[in-house]
Amino acid sequence: MTSRKSMFLFTLPALIVLGVFFVYPILLTFQMSFTDFSGVGEAEPVGLKNYDRIISRSRYPDALWVTAKFTVIVVLFQTLAGLFFAALLHRLPAVRNFARAALFTPAMMSFVVVGYVWQFIYSPFSGGLNALLRGAGLDWLAKGWLGDPDTALYAIAIAHIWMFTGYTTAIFLAGYANIPSDIDEAGRLDGASSWQRFRWLEVPLLAPSFTINIMLSTIGTLKTFELPFIMTRGGPDGATRTLSLEIIEQLFGRYKFGFASALSIVMLVIVIAVAVFQNWYLRRREDV
Amino acid sequence: MHVAQVRTYIANTLVVALVIVMLLPLLYMITMSFRTATEIAQAPLALPESLAWENYARAFGGMNYIRAVINSIGITISVTILTALLGSMAAFPLARNTSRFARGIILLVALGLATPNFVTITPIYVIFRDLGLLDSYLGIILAFTALNLPLAVFFYVGFIGAIPKDLMEAAKLDNCTDWQIFWYVVRPLLGPATATLSLFVMLMVWNDFTYPLLLLTDKDKFTVTISVYRFVGNQNIQPDMLFPAAVLGSLPLLALFVVFQRRIVSGVTAGAVK
Repeated sequence: MTSRKSMFLFTLPALIVLGVFFVYPILLTFQMSFTDFSGVGEAEPVGLKNYDRIISRSRYPDALWVTAKFTVIVVLFQTLAGLFFAALLHRLPAVRNFARAALFTPAMMSFVVVGYVWQFIYSPFSGGLNALLRGAGLDWLAKGWLGDPDTALYAIAIAHIWMFTGYTTAIFLAGYANIPSDIDEAGRLDGASSWQRFRWLEVPLLAPSFTINIMLSTIGTLKTFELPFIMTRGGPDGATRTLSLEIIEQLFGRYKFGFASALSIVMLVIVIAVAVFQNWYLRRREDV
Repeated sequence: MHVAQVRTYIANTLVVALVIVMLLPLLYMITMSFRTATEIAQAPLALPESLAWENYARAFGGMNYIRAVINSIGITISVTILTALLGSMAAFPLARNTSRFARGIILLVALGLATPNFVTITPIYVIFRDLGLLDSYLGIILAFTALNLPLAVFFYVGFIGAIPKDLMEAAKLDNCTDWQIFWYVVRPLLGPATATLSLFVMLMVWNDFTYPLLLLTDKDKFTVTISVYRFVGNQNIQPDMLFPAAVLGSLPLLALFVVFQRRIVSGVTAGAVK
């Protein structure tokens, strides 16, 4: 109904902003990824050297592996925790609103604050976690959680999951609100136990909420650098060095703009591939 | 019946206890912020002996707190106005148009929504440096606007698509131009969508770490998040600086959340579900 001319005029401002700050930078990233650009001066074309370096030095596949491990842990446990709380709160209307808001609170804080607070919780001597363990007579468990390559990534994952469990819970509860109450009622009349209704009625009917939660948390976690940046700077020994942290370090620590661009392109390809696959797989699952 | 009531009572109590356990890190943050470094070193989990307000005095000054809060508020408002205006304008013709041009733009917007801002930070830094936009309010406002714009377009396309067609056709019969229809008929109806959008913008501006880290070095232009980071640092972290800074850094949004928690939770959830 709007004319061609006004169509163009109405979308023009948005297109200019997207063009200058999104399309052009992506093309530039692509182009820079084939150079040795260091931020200043001339950029020499180096062909595929940056990409070759990513594949041949174990440092970068390692960062990919850390990112993958981190994402799987966070997505799995955050989804389970959110589902657990939502299923409980669905059954307990008296405390539902209070609990939903309370669980959501950490999501209102920034990564920087959450990172700092948890870093201190984990700290070896005066940190809260070790003090708690010693108080419970579990001295042998107390340790520098972020200083040990075996526990550092899990420790950061717990902070991340803590931050967003309330978000996941709220989305699952919104999914619960969409389940027709007569279905639940029918299950009850057929004598299904609470667990049976959860397993065979609610979980299948919550499929769209699973899709949203898993896709949101996967994309959010794949690109995260803030918590490792604040809590460990990627250490100890690269155990928490994610791909995006690597990009930041290459950019600010070493001024390797060309190489950082190549890593960004790798990241873009991975994010798109994962998003497309998840979308396809989870939507197909919704239809079953 | 009585047994069921008791069971529900116990279940409610257990869930509330579990939720409080989840909130322990938050309570820990607040408790520790009132203790001196020596107190924390001697008894890591004790309650404050007296309230160490001097912690807050130091963080307040060191973070340039008032300035940082004003910066964050100003940037949030500017970005909300810009994204709301550009996003709703673009959505107006797109909402009911299926031409190839319209579908092309929608695809571009979807790509923008899916692409992590990491992919573009290197060139954005270079572009901003060359245009003299580093360390300027305009620069950070434009960066956040571009980041939120795809979301805004999606919001408004859905919202405008649900406005009855008759309303716009009636205006057309009255010889209104497209711009008049947009400004006087459509725009006044967009309040709820803009409210939800502003929530997302606010959360991003207050919590995003990447752009301020990349684009701001001038202390007077810091947002709250980056001022927390610059104050606490990343080496030799002192608890009597960390905790008050963390509390001050979260205080504005937490206060807002306490007042508007219902609307914030449902807004963010609805926004994500769409």
